Amino acid sequence: MGFDWSILWQYREPLISGAITTFSVVLVSLFFGALIASVVCAGSLQKSKYLRAPARLYVQIFRVIPEVALIFWVYLCLPLVLDVRMSAFQSGALAISLISGAYLSEILRAGIIAVPKGQGEAAFALGLSALPRWYKVILPQALRIVLPTIVSFLTELVKMTSLLAAISVGEMAYQANVLGSQTFKYNEFFTSVAIAYFVVIFPITVLSRRLEKKGS
Amino acid sequence: MINFDYLATLDFSVPWQYRWQLLQATVTSLWLAFIATVVGAVLGTAVAIVGRMKFAPVRWLVLGYVEFFRNTPLLVQLTWIHFVVPLFTGINTSPFMSGTIALTLNVTAYFSETARAGINSVGKGQWEAARALGLHWVPIWSKVVLPQAFRVMIPPIANMVISIFKATAILSILAVDDLLRVSSRIANLSFKPVEVMTAMAIIYFVVGSLITFGTGKVEARYGPREGK
Repeated sequence: MGFDWSILWQYREPLISGAITTFSVVLVSLFFGALIASVVCAGSLQKSKYLRAPARLYVQIFRVIPEVALIFWVYLCLPLVLDVRMSAFQSGALAISLISGAYLSEILRAGIIAVPKGQGEAAFALGLSALPRWYKVILPQALRIVLPTIVSFLTELVKMTSLLAAISVGEMAYQANVLGSQTFKYNEFFTSVAIAYFVVIFPITVLSRRLEKKGS
Repeated sequence: MINFDYLATLDFSVPWQYRWQLLQATVTSLWLAFIATVVGAVLGTAVAIVGRMKFAPVRWLVLGYVEFFRNTPLLVQLTWIHFVVPLFTGINTSPFMSGTIALTLNVTAYFSETARAGINSVGKGQWEAARALGLHWVPIWSKVVLPQAFRVMIPPIANMVISIFKATAILSILAVDDLLRVSSRIANLSFKPVEVMTAMAIIYFVVGSLITFGTGKVEARYGPREGK
């Protein structure tokens, strides 16, 4: 069973474009996920039940329903419900952003809760108003606490992007599927794409473990 | 922004009409999750024990397996096992078989990490005491180390069960008739994607919430006690 390297070189363009698409989905959903997370996290830390309950429900929905099921829902149903046209990439990135928002908001919330209460009280006693109290005192400490968790979530995020192959977004796993079935060189394409994912994800895992050790 | 005219025409009798198919698909999803959890727990513990062997090549092999399965997407493992492995073995596996194998191997890798941490948490004195009592290695593991390790492993396992249930949906991409695949087929057949897919999302949400509720109870009952 030979391994035909030349075929990878021959199809380098779709493979590279797949890698770029994977990377773009990660960046886009990290950005929008962080935005959603700040809003949801702020909501879930409120005293008012009417602000807390929707935030908790949001987190529950996007953490309990399987990612692929949500991706399909956004891809098939959202354009009909909202009467908009969305490309597969847009619906996929939107679905993953929504899911990332739920996970990141939970991570952030855990970090904020872990900051000792005295910190906020001391900042208040020093006469800091709400904005600097959050941006200069509480959030920097909270982010430092959860940094390893955020990095390890990043590995989950990269893995999650492979699911967009199901709605034919041209990312790495999809390209491997298409090229494999076109050329019947399954071994070459699937193996190299698996290795590519490993090469990207493993260093992030190692980084997150190192950060975790440093923190404890 | 929301298309209320369209929402007014929604007809939820369609998913109700297909309720038995949806129920059966839900059972398939749960069954897959169950197999993967049980087999993964047993194999994962075995892998963790083998990973402690003094013979280095075995340790490296275990490490390579665990790291590879934890650091690549399940979908890629799935397609690799379905399309590439038969090229080497000459045995073609059905999507259900490949799916179950891939999911189980994936879960085993995660479980073995949990088991490893659990085993490491058992104090050195326990090992020494068991050896001093003249216990053979089988009772050392089965009566002394593993029962203590399991208690520590319960919280991470409880979290894992819901992840495994969610992961079964990924098998649908490979034509396994789980809840997601059956729902998208009904959606295509009936031209009612919003009704059917929303019903599917609700089923996933309810079943998933029940699972997290159940594992939370188990964790509170059997997990490590804090502050006692």
